[in-house]
Amino acid sequence: MELAAMRNLAAALAIGLGAIGPGIGIGILGSKAMEAIGRNPEATGQIQSNMILGIAFTEAIAIYALVIALIVKFV
Amino acid sequence: MKKKLFNVRTLLILLAIVALFVVSGWLGLKVPAPVVSIKSEPLFHIGGFTITNSLFTTWIVMIILVVVSLLATRRMPKDVQSASTSDLLPGGLQNLFEFIIEALHGLTKGIAGHWTPKFFPIIATIFLLVITANWIGLIPGVGTIGILEHPHEVSEATAKGATEFTGFVANGPILTAEPAKRAEEGYFVVPFFRSPSADLNFTLALALISVFLVQYFGVKGNGAGYFKKFFDVSGFKRGAFWGFIGIFVSILELISEIAKVISFSFRLFGNIFAGEVLLLVMAFLIPYLISIPFYGLELFVGFIQALVFMLLTLVFFTLAASSHHGGEEHH
Repeated sequence: MELAAMRNLAAALAIGLGAIGPGIGIGILGSKAMEAIGRNPEATGQIQSNMILGIAFTEAIAIYALVIALIVKFV
Repeated sequence: MKKKLFNVRTLLILLAIVALFVVSGWLGLKVPAPVVSIKSEPLFHIGGFTITNSLFTTWIVMIILVVVSLLATRRMPKDVQSASTSDLLPGGLQNLFEFIIEALHGLTKGIAGHWTPKFFPIIATIFLLVITANWIGLIPGVGTIGILEHPHEVSEATAKGATEFTGFVANGPILTAEPAKRAEEGYFVVPFFRSPSADLNFTLALALISVFLVQYFGVKGNGAGYFKKFFDVSGFKRGAFWGFIGIFVSILELISEIAKVISFSFRLFGNIFAGEVLLLVMAFLIPYLISIPFYGLELFVGFIQALVFMLLTLVFFTLAASSHHGGEEHH
């Protein structure tokens, strides 16, 4: 295979596979947060800010995959 | 809902979109395929210092913020104590900004507690700067209007095995979709403006400021003892095993500080840059129509990313400033 084609494929695989885990993680986080809000609507604000924080940390893993993909593609 | 699908307004909008397709086809307004550039392009030089388009846009963001804050606080009385009630009544712009600042202050107070007066100016500045920087990239014309330049990196690109990029033929000031035969005839657009958050330099600078301030507030809250968590040898009192575990944890703490910089900068950069590429691709798939909902999405993403940057900075500040005697925290 050509080098350029290989690079594109590698970048796509890096971000594509790397997004699976964080996707599942954010799904679980969101569902649990919704459940918690449903059980205890008064705590919505607190749950929301904690959920956003959790999502940010989960997302960081997808960002590492993105960094790798960008490095493979452009560097 | 089904009855309302074909009222006069929707039909008019539909007609306008079809007319746009037809007119742009007639005029031959074909645009060239987009060239995605991951780094910002240099616009001009001051001395030996290169001014890139994203740095230029950052200055515009700063000017916007300064002018808006001056306008919002213009009617504020100098002496609050002696002012009458009607003087204190906010209106228009001031009202809007009092609402924003109050919401931010409430959020900060809920997390930082008695540290609020120290943290709030930094936190609010980060939020306002990042959200303006994110949203300025959504204004039409940002990233599309610019100088026509000859591609000068052709040899470099071909050397790497990429397909040869010779640029496009320019018709007056407008770039056409026709690829140029030779690099000397071809042009590509160097935009005047580029969203600051779509440039890694801007986000990296913000991330470094944020993480250094975390260390500053850690020292402010705990004295020099704050740095103990990076060189933890107290475990040796309980034996060699616990000592080595302590050293390992310290190394992890050190790495997590560096990882903070990376995740801060790439989170913002990745989201905004990917958003711009997404809008670009959608605009080229089905023009005029399909990019509208994605504009809404990008507005939301810009807000959420500004909020996340602010919240994470705030939480790290609070964790560092509060005492560390209650064991290590996980993040």
